[in-house]
Amino acid sequence: MNIIETQNLTKTYGDFTAVSGISLHVPKGTVYGFLGPNGAGKSTTMKLFLGLTQPTGGSFVIDGKRFPGGRVQILKEVGSFIEAPAFYGNLTGEENLEIIRRILGLPRSSVADALELTGLTQHRRKLAKKYSIGMKQRLGLAGALIGRPPVLILDEPTNGLDPVGIHEIRSLIRSLPQQFGCTVFVSSHLLSEMELMADNIGILNHGRLLFEGTLDDLKSSAAAQGCPTGSLEDTFLAMIDADNRQRGGAR
Amino acid sequence: MIVSLECKKLKRTGFKAAFFGGGILAAAVPALNMAFRSEAYLSMDAPPVKILLNANWQMMAMLNVLLIVAGACILYHIEYADHAIRKMRTLPFSESAVFFGKTAVLVSACILLLAIEAASIFGCSVHWFGPAAGLYREILKNFGFFLLLMLPAILLSLAAASVCRNMWTALGTGVVCVFAATMIPAQNFALSLFPFALPFRTFSDLSGSAARNYAIAGAAETVGAAALAILILKIRRSFE
Repeated sequence: MNIIETQNLTKTYGDFTAVSGISLHVPKGTVYGFLGPNGAGKSTTMKLFLGLTQPTGGSFVIDGKRFPGGRVQILKEVGSFIEAPAFYGNLTGEENLEIIRRILGLPRSSVADALELTGLTQHRRKLAKKYSIGMKQRLGLAGALIGRPPVLILDEPTNGLDPVGIHEIRSLIRSLPQQFGCTVFVSSHLLSEMELMADNIGILNHGRLLFEGTLDDLKSSAAAQGCPTGSLEDTFLAMIDADNRQRGGAR
Repeated sequence: MIVSLECKKLKRTGFKAAFFGGGILAAAVPALNMAFRSEAYLSMDAPPVKILLNANWQMMAMLNVLLIVAGACILYHIEYADHAIRKMRTLPFSESAVFFGKTAVLVSACILLLAIEAASIFGCSVHWFGPAAGLYREILKNFGFFLLLMLPAILLSLAAASVCRNMWTALGTGVVCVFAATMIPAQNFALSLFPFALPFRTFSDLSGSAARNYAIAGAAETVGAAALAILILKIRRSFE
């Protein structure tokens, strides 16, 4: 069963098409890696899911709720972390999470739980503006994880983290489907990380979906196209390069 | 819940101190004026509240409106400084609810401000002019009128602050509006309806019909400013 489904989802800004008729299928209880070079449309797709920007065409359903009618219901079930950490710098980490908790109507214990999950318990009383980049990133993740929502949308969650932090967050994301039954829709530039983390992947280039499926499916598909299959990075680069050349040829 | 959340967000911003300090400063204006120039006012033949407001309200109103502009900027600066508004937009919570929550906070702060100023006018009146019949009612009528006429400026300052990600742009716009308001001649009714000029009008200085007209204009501008703010939020959303 797919928890997120899009049908020909499109977003254009004037003449520029950021997302071009993509149809995604994200199975429930999995980690879905969303890959693509800068400007491919990953963040725009995630913003569309959260109603931060309006689709120009197509539609999508998250956990049975169709946008835009079910936007509020969708937001109640989705924890998100988009682009960069967003927080109140004048409040402590704990106070920031307390605000989110009250809006979502969660029990008081959910703040401590989110702090514990992201390793911020020790720093909970420190002002968020005094956090290091990695701690801000963790606070953003805690804001997404609070209340353990059924769907998590994470945009580059390991940006700014040191290797230990990256490992911790990867392990956390990897464990979420088993531990809490979460579905994680995550984008990252770290292809090696994605290889270790994702059950399914979608590859986006210039707003178009080039591939969707499991890593094994990707290897088979890449081999059939004559692309290298040694690592996800090699395959990804070859597919993007082939698509760019095809697009150049088409012009 | 929304108002208590907005209050929580204001921790360590200096918002409460600014309004309390501003209230004390504005309250000091009539007290100092009477302390140094009481002879000039005690010889006047008019109700004490009218004398005190005529002598001091322009300065007090200027401080009030500047505090409204600064308060609105603080209320939205915390949302934009570390992109907290981006997180808020991903929560099941409408942006107009945030706006009206902030409006309620700013109106409450203005009530505190006016209460401090009213206490000062009351104190000055009793101390220098002696107890007078109907003093409470006169002060309540005047300060209720001030609050009503402040509402359009509160809503418009918040609307400007919600639009401008850079606090200095909203602050600059507000300060320009305040200084423009001080240059508007009070005799011209149409011009004096400029939202930032309304808080400079005093109830005791207006005839019954003029006060009613200003009250109606204040209420109408409040509704208009609220509608404009909602429209701005909706338009901005559809362009993102």
